[in-house]
Amino acid sequence: MGRRYGIGGPWVLRGVDLELAVGTLVRVEGTNGTGKSTLLRLLAGIDAPTEGRALGRPRTAYVPERFPAALPFTAVGYLTHLGRIHGLSRRTAATRAGEWLERFGAGAHARTPLAELSKGTSQKVAAAQALVAAPELLVLDEAWTGLDTAARAELDRAVAERVADGAAVVFVDHDPRRLVDAVDTRYAVERGGLVRRTEAAHPAVSPLVRVHVVGPVPPEGLPGAPTLTPGPDGAHTHTLTVAAAHSDALLRALLTAQPPWHIRGVSRP
Amino acid sequence: MSALVRYQTALLLRSQRWLAPVLLYVAFVAVGVQPGNPVLDSLGYAAAGLLPVGAWLARLCVTQEPAAARECAAAAAGPGRVHLAALATALGTTVLLGAAGTLYVVAVGDPASADHRVAVPLGPAMAAGLLASAVCALLGAAVGALGSRPLLHARGWSLCLTALAALLALVAKGSPARYAVNGLVNGSRTGDVHLAVVPLIAAAALTAAAWAAVCALTSRRG
Repeated sequence: MGRRYGIGGPWVLRGVDLELAVGTLVRVEGTNGTGKSTLLRLLAGIDAPTEGRALGRPRTAYVPERFPAALPFTAVGYLTHLGRIHGLSRRTAATRAGEWLERFGAGAHARTPLAELSKGTSQKVAAAQALVAAPELLVLDEAWTGLDTAARAELDRAVAERVADGAAVVFVDHDPRRLVDAVDTRYAVERGGLVRRTEAAHPAVSPLVRVHVVGPVPPEGLPGAPTLTPGPDGAHTHTLTVAAAHSDALLRALLTAQPPWHIRGVSRP
Repeated sequence: MSALVRYQTALLLRSQRWLAPVLLYVAFVAVGVQPGNPVLDSLGYAAAGLLPVGAWLARLCVTQEPAAARECAAAAAGPGRVHLAALATALGTTVLLGAAGTLYVVAVGDPASADHRVAVPLGPAMAAGLLASAVCALLGAAVGALGSRPLLHARGWSLCLTALAALLALVAKGSPARYAVNGLVNGSRTGDVHLAVVPLIAAAALTAAAWAAVCALTSRRG
Protein backbone atom coordinates (compact mmCIF):
# COMPACT_ATOMS: atom_id res chain seq x y z
CA MET A 1 0.00 0.00 0.00
CA GLY A 2 1.05 3.60 -0.35
CA ARG A 3 0.18 6.93 1.22
CA ARG A 4 0.58 10.53 0.23
CA TYR A 5 -0.94 13.62 1.76
CA GLY A 6 -2.92 15.91 -0.50
CA ILE A 7 -3.70 15.46 -4.17
CA GLY A 8 -0.47 15.17 -6.13
CA GLY A 9 1.68 15.44 -3.02
CA PRO A 10 4.89 13.41 -2.70
CA TRP A 11 4.54 9.79 -1.73
CA VAL A 12 5.45 9.27 1.90
CA LEU A 13 5.22 5.51 1.56
CA ARG A 14 4.84 3.38 -1.51
CA GLY A 15 4.81 -0.30 -2.29
CA VAL A 16 4.57 -1.31 1.34
CA ASP A 17 3.59 -4.94 1.79
CA LEU A 18 3.41 -6.04 5.39
CA GLU A 19 1.69 -8.95 7.04
CA LEU A 20 1.34 -9.06 10.79
CA ALA A 21 1.08 -12.53 12.29
CA VAL A 22 -0.65 -13.12 15.61
CA GLY A 23 1.58 -13.19 18.66
CA THR A 24 4.42 -11.25 17.08
CA LEU A 25 6.29 -8.16 18.14
CA VAL A 26 7.37 -5.95 15.26
CA ARG A 27 9.75 -3.04 15.49
CA VAL A 28 9.76 -0.31 12.84
CA GLU A 29 12.93 1.73 12.47
CA GLY A 30 13.98 4.68 10.41
CA THR A 31 15.37 8.16 10.74
CA ASN A 32 13.12 11.11 11.52
CA GLY A 33 10.61 12.06 8.86
CA THR A 34 10.87 8.87 6.83
CA GLY A 35 7.26 7.90 7.34
CA LYS A 36 7.33 5.63 10.40
CA SER A 37 4.38 7.39 11.97
CA THR A 38 2.49 7.34 8.67
CA LEU A 39 3.01 3.59 8.48
CA LEU A 40 1.77 3.16 12.05
CA ARG A 41 -1.30 5.29 11.36
CA LEU A 42 -2.10 3.13 8.34
CA LEU A 43 -1.67 -0.02 10.43
CA ALA A 44 -3.86 1.37 13.20
CA GLY A 45 -6.57 2.23 10.67
CA ILE A 46 -6.48 5.94 11.50
CA ASP A 47 -5.47 6.78 7.92
CA ALA A 48 -6.54 4.98 4.79
CA PRO A 49 -3.88 4.12 2.19
CA THR A 50 -3.95 6.26 -0.96
CA GLU A 51 -3.30 3.17 -3.02
CA GLY A 52 -3.61 -0.44 -2.04
CA ARG A 53 -5.61 -1.80 0.85
CA ALA A 54 -5.31 -2.79 4.45
CA LEU A 55 -6.88 -6.23 4.81
CA GLY A 56 -8.38 -7.44 8.03
CA ARG A 57 -9.21 -5.18 10.92
CA PRO A 58 -8.55 -6.76 14.31
CA ARG A 59 -9.55 -4.90 17.46
CA THR A 60 -6.95 -2.18 17.40
CA ALA A 61 -5.52 0.26 19.89
CA TYR A 62 -3.05 3.06 19.26
CA VAL A 63 -0.78 5.03 21.56
CA PRO A 64 0.33 8.39 20.18
CA GLU A 65 3.70 9.88 21.00
CA ARG A 66 2.22 12.90 22.71
CA PHE A 67 -1.11 12.92 24.43
CA PRO A 68 -1.74 16.51 25.54
CA ALA A 69 -5.39 15.70 25.90
CA ALA A 70 -7.31 18.76 26.99
CA LEU A 71 -10.42 16.67 27.50
CA PRO A 72 -13.08 17.47 30.09
CA PHE A 73 -12.78 14.08 31.80
CA THR A 74 -10.97 12.62 34.77
CA ALA A 75 -8.33 10.02 33.93
CA VAL A 76 -10.54 7.13 34.96
CA GLY A 77 -13.57 8.69 33.27
CA TYR A 78 -11.74 8.97 29.96
CA LEU A 79 -10.42 5.42 30.19
CA THR A 80 -13.92 4.13 30.96
CA HIS A 81 -15.29 5.88 27.86
CA LEU A 82 -12.49 4.40 25.72
CA GLY A 83 -13.05 0.96 27.22
CA ARG A 84 -16.72 1.15 26.26
CA ILE A 85 -15.81 2.27 22.73
CA HIS A 86 -13.64 -0.86 22.61
CA GLY A 87 -16.74 -2.86 23.50
CA LEU A 88 -16.38 -3.43 27.24
CA SER A 89 -19.28 -3.11 29.64
CA ARG A 90 -19.34 -0.05 31.88
CA ARG A 91 -18.34 -2.00 34.98
CA THR A 92 -15.50 -3.90 33.29
CA ALA A 93 -14.24 -0.72 31.65
CA ALA A 94 -14.20 1.18 34.95
CA THR A 95 -12.46 -1.67 36.80
CA ARG A 96 -9.81 -2.15 34.13
CA ALA A 97 -9.27 1.62 33.91
CA GLY A 98 -8.41 1.72 37.61
CA GLU A 99 -6.20 -1.36 37.34
CA TRP A 100 -4.15 0.01 34.45
CA LEU A 101 -3.68 3.38 36.11
CA GLU A 102 -2.40 1.50 39.19
CA ARG A 103 -0.05 -0.58 37.07
CA PHE A 104 1.50 2.52 35.55
CA GLY A 105 1.79 4.16 38.95
CA ALA A 106 -0.89 6.76 38.24
CA GLY A 107 -3.55 5.37 40.56
CA ALA A 108 -3.41 8.50 42.68
CA HIS A 109 -4.42 10.57 39.66
CA ALA A 110 -7.46 8.47 38.73
CA ARG A 111 -9.85 11.28 39.72
CA THR A 112 -7.69 14.11 38.43
CA PRO A 113 -9.02 16.00 35.39
CA LEU A 114 -6.92 15.19 32.31
CA ALA A 115 -6.21 18.86 31.74
CA GLU A 116 -4.38 19.05 35.10
CA LEU A 117 -2.14 16.03 34.56
CA SER A 118 1.58 16.34 33.98
CA LYS A 119 2.99 15.36 30.60
CA GLY A 120 4.25 12.03 31.93
CA THR A 121 0.99 11.13 33.63
CA SER A 122 -0.93 12.03 30.47
CA GLN A 123 1.28 9.60 28.60
CA LYS A 124 0.43 6.94 31.17
CA VAL A 125 -3.26 7.56 30.46
CA ALA A 126 -2.51 7.27 26.73
CA ALA A 127 -0.83 3.90 27.29
CA ALA A 128 -3.62 2.73 29.58
CA GLN A 129 -6.37 3.57 27.07
CA ALA A 130 -4.73 1.24 24.56
CA LEU A 131 -4.37 -1.64 27.00
CA VAL A 132 -7.68 -1.36 28.80
CA ALA A 133 -9.53 -3.61 26.33
CA ALA A 134 -6.71 -6.10 25.56
CA PRO A 135 -6.53 -5.29 21.81
CA GLU A 136 -5.60 -7.82 19.12
CA LEU A 137 -3.38 -5.26 17.42
CA LEU A 138 -1.46 -2.74 19.47
CA VAL A 139 0.31 0.12 17.70
CA LEU A 140 2.77 2.19 19.75
CA ASP A 141 4.26 5.35 18.27
CA GLU A 142 7.11 6.18 20.65
CA ALA A 143 4.73 5.48 23.50
CA TRP A 144 7.61 5.25 25.99
CA THR A 145 8.62 8.88 25.47
CA GLY A 146 7.85 10.90 28.57
CA LEU A 147 7.21 7.93 30.86
CA ASP A 148 9.25 7.47 34.03
CA THR A 149 11.53 4.43 34.37
CA ALA A 150 9.03 2.32 36.29
CA ALA A 151 6.25 3.05 33.83
CA ARG A 152 8.55 2.23 30.90
CA ALA A 153 9.31 -1.13 32.42
CA GLU A 154 5.60 -1.66 33.06
CA LEU A 155 4.80 -0.85 29.43
CA ASP A 156 7.50 -3.33 28.34
CA ARG A 157 5.81 -5.97 30.47
CA ALA A 158 2.37 -5.06 29.17
CA VAL A 159 3.62 -5.40 25.58
CA ALA A 160 5.16 -8.78 26.36
CA GLU A 161 1.83 -9.87 27.87
CA ARG A 162 -0.10 -8.79 24.80
CA VAL A 163 2.27 -10.73 22.54
CA ALA A 164 2.08 -13.79 24.79
CA ASP A 165 -1.70 -13.44 24.63
CA GLY A 166 -1.62 -13.76 20.84
CA ALA A 167 -1.84 -10.09 19.88
CA ALA A 168 0.32 -8.43 17.25
CA VAL A 169 2.26 -5.44 18.55
CA VAL A 170 3.99 -2.89 16.30
CA PHE A 171 6.14 -0.18 17.77
CA VAL A 172 8.53 2.64 17.02
CA ASP A 173 10.95 3.84 19.67
CA HIS A 174 14.15 5.87 19.88
CA ASP A 175 15.81 3.40 22.19
CA PRO A 176 17.47 0.69 20.05
CA ARG A 177 17.43 -1.67 23.04
CA ARG A 178 13.69 -1.33 23.61
CA LEU A 179 12.31 -4.89 23.96
CA VAL A 180 15.31 -6.07 21.96
CA ASP A 181 15.11 -9.66 23.16
CA ALA A 182 11.44 -9.98 22.47
CA VAL A 183 11.26 -8.45 18.97
CA ASP A 184 10.34 -11.02 16.33
CA THR A 185 10.78 -8.93 13.20
CA ARG A 186 12.39 -5.61 12.51
CA TYR A 187 11.53 -3.39 9.57
CA ALA A 188 13.11 -0.17 8.41
CA VAL A 189 11.33 2.59 6.55
CA GLU A 190 13.80 3.78 3.91
CA ARG A 191 13.18 6.11 1.01
CA GLY A 192 9.44 5.59 1.13
CA GLY A 193 9.57 1.81 1.24
CA LEU A 194 9.65 -0.86 3.88
CA VAL A 195 12.75 -3.07 4.21
CA ARG A 196 12.69 -6.19 6.29
CA ARG A 197 15.67 -6.62 8.59
CA THR A 198 15.55 -10.24 9.46
CA GLU A 199 18.85 -10.69 11.24
CA ALA A 200 18.56 -11.60 14.88
CA ALA A 201 18.80 -9.02 17.60
CA HIS A 202 22.26 -7.57 18.15
CA PRO A 203 24.18 -9.88 20.46
CA ALA A 204 26.03 -6.85 21.80
CA VAL A 205 22.86 -5.40 23.26
CA SER A 206 21.38 -8.74 24.26
CA PRO A 207 23.27 -9.83 27.38
CA LEU A 208 22.70 -13.31 28.74
CA VAL A 209 22.32 -14.40 32.35
CA ARG A 210 23.13 -17.81 33.77
CA VAL A 211 21.07 -19.18 36.63
CA HIS A 212 22.57 -22.11 38.55
CA VAL A 213 19.86 -24.19 40.19
CA VAL A 214 19.47 -27.37 42.19
CA GLY A 215 16.48 -29.61 41.59
CA PRO A 216 15.00 -32.14 39.16
CA VAL A 217 14.99 -31.55 35.39
CA PRO A 218 13.41 -28.12 34.77
CA PRO A 219 10.04 -28.21 33.02
CA GLU A 220 9.30 -26.93 29.52
CA GLY A 221 7.84 -23.48 29.03
CA LEU A 222 9.95 -21.46 31.45
CA PRO A 223 9.97 -17.70 30.78
CA GLY A 224 12.42 -16.73 28.04
CA ALA A 225 12.90 -20.37 26.92
CA PRO A 226 16.28 -20.83 28.66
CA THR A 227 18.88 -23.22 27.29
CA LEU A 228 19.61 -26.00 29.73
CA THR A 229 23.04 -27.46 30.50
CA PRO A 230 23.79 -30.00 33.23
CA GLY A 231 25.75 -28.53 36.09
CA PRO A 232 29.34 -29.49 36.85
CA ASP A 233 28.67 -31.42 40.09
CA GLY A 234 25.98 -34.07 40.10
CA ALA A 235 22.77 -34.84 38.30
CA HIS A 236 20.58 -32.39 40.20
CA THR A 237 22.36 -29.19 39.32
CA HIS A 238 21.57 -27.33 36.12
CA THR A 239 22.57 -24.13 34.47
CA LEU A 240 19.84 -22.17 32.72
CA THR A 241 21.01 -19.53 30.24
CA VAL A 242 18.46 -16.87 29.35
CA ALA A 243 18.37 -13.37 27.88
CA ALA A 244 18.75 -10.77 30.61
CA ALA A 245 15.31 -9.33 29.86
CA HIS A 246 13.71 -12.58 30.98
CA SER A 247 15.91 -13.30 33.99
CA ASP A 248 13.59 -11.76 36.57
CA ALA A 249 10.59 -13.67 35.24
CA LEU A 250 12.62 -16.88 35.14
CA LEU A 251 13.77 -16.47 38.75
CA ARG A 252 10.23 -15.73 39.84
CA ALA A 253 8.96 -18.86 38.09
CA LEU A 254 11.67 -21.00 39.66
CA LEU A 255 11.13 -19.65 43.17
CA THR A 256 7.36 -19.98 43.06
CA ALA A 257 7.38 -23.48 41.52
CA GLN A 258 6.08 -26.35 43.67
CA PRO A 259 8.39 -27.56 45.07
CA PRO A 260 10.59 -24.47 44.72
CA TRP A 261 14.00 -24.63 43.11
CA HIS A 262 17.08 -23.84 45.04
CA ILE A 263 19.07 -21.13 43.32
CA ARG A 264 22.78 -21.42 43.93
CA GLY A 265 23.85 -18.46 41.95
CA VAL A 266 23.25 -16.04 39.13
CA SER A 267 26.12 -15.05 36.88
CA ARG A 268 27.00 -13.51 33.57
CA PRO A 269 28.66 -15.69 30.98
CA MET B 1 -21.76 3.23 18.07
CA SER B 2 -23.76 4.04 21.20
CA ALA B 3 -20.54 4.14 23.24
CA LEU B 4 -19.09 6.60 20.73
CA VAL B 5 -22.17 8.82 20.84
CA ARG B 6 -22.10 8.70 24.64
CA TYR B 7 -18.44 9.72 24.58
CA GLN B 8 -19.06 12.58 22.13
CA THR B 9 -22.10 13.77 24.08
CA ALA B 10 -20.14 13.75 27.34
CA LEU B 11 -17.36 15.70 25.59
CA LEU B 12 -19.82 18.29 24.32
CA LEU B 13 -21.74 18.70 27.57
CA ARG B 14 -18.68 18.84 29.81
CA SER B 15 -16.73 21.18 27.57
CA GLN B 16 -19.49 23.82 27.82
CA ARG B 17 -18.91 24.74 24.20
CA TRP B 18 -22.56 24.03 23.59
CA LEU B 19 -23.34 27.12 25.63
CA ALA B 20 -22.68 29.71 22.91
CA PRO B 21 -24.86 28.23 20.14
CA VAL B 22 -27.61 27.30 22.59
CA LEU B 23 -27.62 30.81 24.07
CA LEU B 24 -27.71 32.25 20.55
CA TYR B 25 -30.80 30.21 19.77
CA VAL B 26 -32.45 31.07 23.07
CA ALA B 27 -31.82 34.77 22.46
CA PHE B 28 -33.06 34.49 18.87
CA VAL B 29 -36.32 32.85 19.96
CA ALA B 30 -36.76 35.08 23.02
CA VAL B 31 -36.39 38.25 20.96
CA GLY B 32 -38.35 37.12 17.92
CA VAL B 33 -41.20 35.22 19.52
CA GLN B 34 -43.40 37.42 21.66
CA PRO B 35 -46.34 36.01 23.58
CA GLY B 36 -49.48 36.47 21.51
CA ASN B 37 -47.74 36.32 18.12
CA PRO B 38 -49.42 34.10 15.51
CA VAL B 39 -48.17 30.59 16.26
CA LEU B 40 -47.35 29.46 12.72
CA ASP B 41 -45.30 32.59 11.96
CA SER B 42 -43.33 32.11 15.15
CA LEU B 43 -42.79 28.40 14.41
CA GLY B 44 -41.35 29.29 11.01
CA TYR B 45 -39.08 31.89 12.57
CA ALA B 46 -37.88 29.50 15.31
CA ALA B 47 -37.20 26.73 12.77
CA ALA B 48 -35.22 29.07 10.50
CA GLY B 49 -33.03 30.14 13.40
CA LEU B 50 -32.19 26.52 14.16
CA LEU B 51 -30.31 25.95 10.89
CA PRO B 52 -27.19 28.04 11.60
CA VAL B 53 -27.20 26.81 15.20
CA GLY B 54 -27.23 23.22 13.92
CA ALA B 55 -24.31 23.98 11.59
CA TRP B 56 -22.39 25.55 14.47
CA LEU B 57 -23.01 22.55 16.74
CA ALA B 58 -21.89 20.13 13.99
CA ARG B 59 -18.70 22.13 13.54
CA LEU B 60 -18.13 22.12 17.31
CA CYS B 61 -18.64 18.38 17.62
CA VAL B 62 -16.23 17.35 14.87
CA THR B 63 -13.49 19.69 16.08
CA GLN B 64 -13.84 19.36 19.86
CA GLU B 65 -11.38 16.47 20.33
CA PRO B 66 -7.63 17.08 20.34
CA ALA B 67 -5.98 15.20 17.45
CA ALA B 68 -4.24 12.69 19.75
CA ALA B 69 -7.47 11.72 21.50
CA ARG B 70 -9.29 11.51 18.17
CA GLU B 71 -6.65 9.11 16.86
CA CYS B 72 -7.00 6.86 19.89
CA ALA B 73 -10.77 6.65 19.38
CA ALA B 74 -10.30 6.25 15.61
CA ALA B 75 -7.99 3.27 16.09
CA ALA B 76 -10.57 1.65 18.35
CA ALA B 77 -13.69 2.26 16.28
CA GLY B 78 -12.56 3.49 12.86
CA PRO B 79 -12.26 7.17 11.90
CA GLY B 80 -15.49 7.19 9.88
CA ARG B 81 -17.54 5.93 12.81
CA VAL B 82 -15.94 8.44 15.19
CA HIS B 83 -16.85 11.23 12.78
CA LEU B 84 -20.37 9.90 12.33
CA ALA B 85 -20.85 9.75 16.12
CA ALA B 86 -19.75 13.39 16.44
CA LEU B 87 -22.22 14.48 13.75
CA ALA B 88 -25.01 12.40 15.27
CA THR B 89 -24.33 14.02 18.66
CA ALA B 90 -24.62 17.47 17.09
CA LEU B 91 -27.83 16.56 15.25
CA GLY B 92 -29.37 15.07 18.38
CA THR B 93 -28.58 18.21 20.37
CA THR B 94 -30.01 20.42 17.62
CA VAL B 95 -33.20 18.37 17.36
CA LEU B 96 -33.71 18.59 21.14
CA LEU B 97 -33.12 22.33 21.01
CA GLY B 98 -35.60 22.66 18.15
CA ALA B 99 -38.19 20.61 20.01
CA ALA B 100 -37.80 22.83 23.08
CA GLY B 101 -38.15 25.93 20.89
CA THR B 102 -41.29 24.52 19.23
CA LEU B 103 -42.86 23.70 22.58
CA TYR B 104 -42.13 27.22 23.83
CA VAL B 105 -43.65 28.83 20.72
CA VAL B 106 -46.76 26.65 20.92
CA ALA B 107 -47.10 27.48 24.62
CA VAL B 108 -46.88 31.26 24.26
CA GLY B 109 -48.13 31.83 20.68
CA ASP B 110 -51.62 32.82 19.65
CA PRO B 111 -53.34 29.80 18.02
CA ALA B 112 -54.68 31.86 15.14
CA SER B 113 -53.77 33.00 11.61
CA ALA B 114 -51.66 36.10 11.01
CA ASP B 115 -54.72 38.37 11.01
CA HIS B 116 -55.99 36.67 14.19
CA ARG B 117 -59.26 35.72 12.46
CA VAL B 118 -58.92 31.99 11.68
CA ALA B 119 -58.22 29.60 14.55
CA VAL B 120 -55.22 27.30 14.13
CA PRO B 121 -55.41 23.86 15.83
CA LEU B 122 -52.47 23.59 18.20
CA GLY B 123 -51.81 19.84 17.75
CA PRO B 124 -51.21 19.97 13.98
CA ALA B 125 -49.36 23.29 14.41
CA MET B 126 -46.97 21.68 16.85
CA ALA B 127 -46.45 18.71 14.51
CA ALA B 128 -45.73 21.11 11.64
CA GLY B 129 -43.31 23.06 13.83
CA LEU B 130 -41.47 19.90 14.88
CA LEU B 131 -41.20 18.76 11.25
CA ALA B 132 -39.89 22.13 10.09
CA SER B 133 -37.34 22.29 12.91
CA ALA B 134 -36.23 18.74 12.05
CA VAL B 135 -35.72 19.82 8.41
CA CYS B 136 -33.64 22.80 9.54
CA ALA B 137 -31.67 20.71 12.06
CA LEU B 138 -30.84 18.16 9.36
CA LEU B 139 -29.73 20.77 6.83
CA GLY B 140 -27.74 22.59 9.51
CA ALA B 141 -25.96 19.34 10.31
CA ALA B 142 -25.23 18.82 6.60
CA VAL B 143 -23.87 22.36 6.22
CA GLY B 144 -21.75 22.05 9.37
CA ALA B 145 -20.38 18.68 8.25
CA LEU B 146 -19.39 20.00 4.82
CA GLY B 147 -17.96 23.21 6.26
CA SER B 148 -15.46 21.69 8.70
CA ARG B 149 -12.90 18.90 8.78
CA PRO B 150 -12.17 16.77 6.86
CA LEU B 151 -13.17 19.05 3.95
CA LEU B 152 -12.16 22.44 5.34
CA HIS B 153 -9.36 22.57 7.89
CA ALA B 154 -8.58 26.29 7.91
CA ARG B 155 -10.63 28.00 10.59
CA GLY B 156 -11.29 31.23 8.71
CA TRP B 157 -12.54 29.61 5.51
CA SER B 158 -14.50 27.09 7.50
CA LEU B 159 -16.40 29.74 9.47
CA CYS B 160 -17.03 32.01 6.44
CA LEU B 161 -18.25 29.22 4.19
CA THR B 162 -20.35 27.61 6.91
CA ALA B 163 -22.12 30.89 7.68
CA LEU B 164 -22.66 31.58 3.96
CA ALA B 165 -23.92 28.05 3.29
CA ALA B 166 -26.29 28.21 6.27
CA LEU B 167 -27.77 31.44 4.89
CA LEU B 168 -28.05 29.97 1.39
CA ALA B 169 -29.71 26.83 2.76
CA LEU B 170 -32.43 29.06 4.19
CA VAL B 171 -33.06 31.34 1.21
CA ALA B 172 -31.98 29.40 -1.90
CA LYS B 173 -34.73 28.22 -4.20
CA GLY B 174 -35.26 24.48 -3.92
CA SER B 175 -33.85 24.19 -0.41
CA PRO B 176 -36.03 21.94 1.78
CA ALA B 177 -35.52 24.37 4.68
CA ARG B 178 -36.99 27.22 2.64
CA TYR B 179 -39.96 25.06 1.70
CA ALA B 180 -40.55 24.06 5.30
CA VAL B 181 -40.25 27.59 6.70
CA ASN B 182 -42.29 29.16 3.89
CA GLY B 183 -44.94 26.49 4.35
CA LEU B 184 -45.43 27.64 7.94
CA VAL B 185 -45.26 31.38 7.24
CA ASN B 186 -47.54 31.28 4.18
CA GLY B 187 -49.94 28.94 5.96
CA SER B 188 -50.19 31.50 8.74
CA ARG B 189 -51.91 33.99 6.37
CA THR B 190 -54.83 31.65 5.80
CA GLY B 191 -54.62 29.59 8.97
CA ASP B 192 -53.68 26.40 7.06
CA VAL B 193 -51.17 24.01 8.63
CA HIS B 194 -48.71 22.51 6.10
CA LEU B 195 -46.77 19.45 7.25
CA ALA B 196 -43.30 19.52 5.69
CA VAL B 197 -43.06 15.79 4.99
CA VAL B 198 -41.47 15.97 1.54
CA PRO B 199 -38.89 18.59 2.66
CA LEU B 200 -38.06 16.31 5.60
CA ILE B 201 -37.37 13.37 3.28
CA ALA B 202 -35.31 15.58 0.97
CA ALA B 203 -33.36 17.04 3.91
CA ALA B 204 -32.69 13.57 5.32
CA ALA B 205 -31.40 12.38 1.94
CA LEU B 206 -29.16 15.43 1.50
CA THR B 207 -27.76 15.10 5.01
CA ALA B 208 -27.16 11.37 4.61
CA ALA B 209 -25.24 12.01 1.39
CA ALA B 210 -23.16 14.82 2.94
CA TRP B 211 -22.39 12.74 6.04
CA ALA B 212 -21.48 9.67 4.00
CA ALA B 213 -19.04 11.77 1.97
CA VAL B 214 -17.30 13.40 4.93
CA CYS B 215 -17.16 10.19 6.98
CA ALA B 216 -15.55 8.36 4.05
CA LEU B 217 -13.07 11.23 3.62
CA THR B 218 -12.01 11.48 7.23
CA SER B 219 -9.45 8.64 7.02
CA ARG B 220 -7.96 10.30 3.91
CA ARG B 221 -7.85 13.95 4.89
CA GLY B 222 -7.80 13.69 8.69
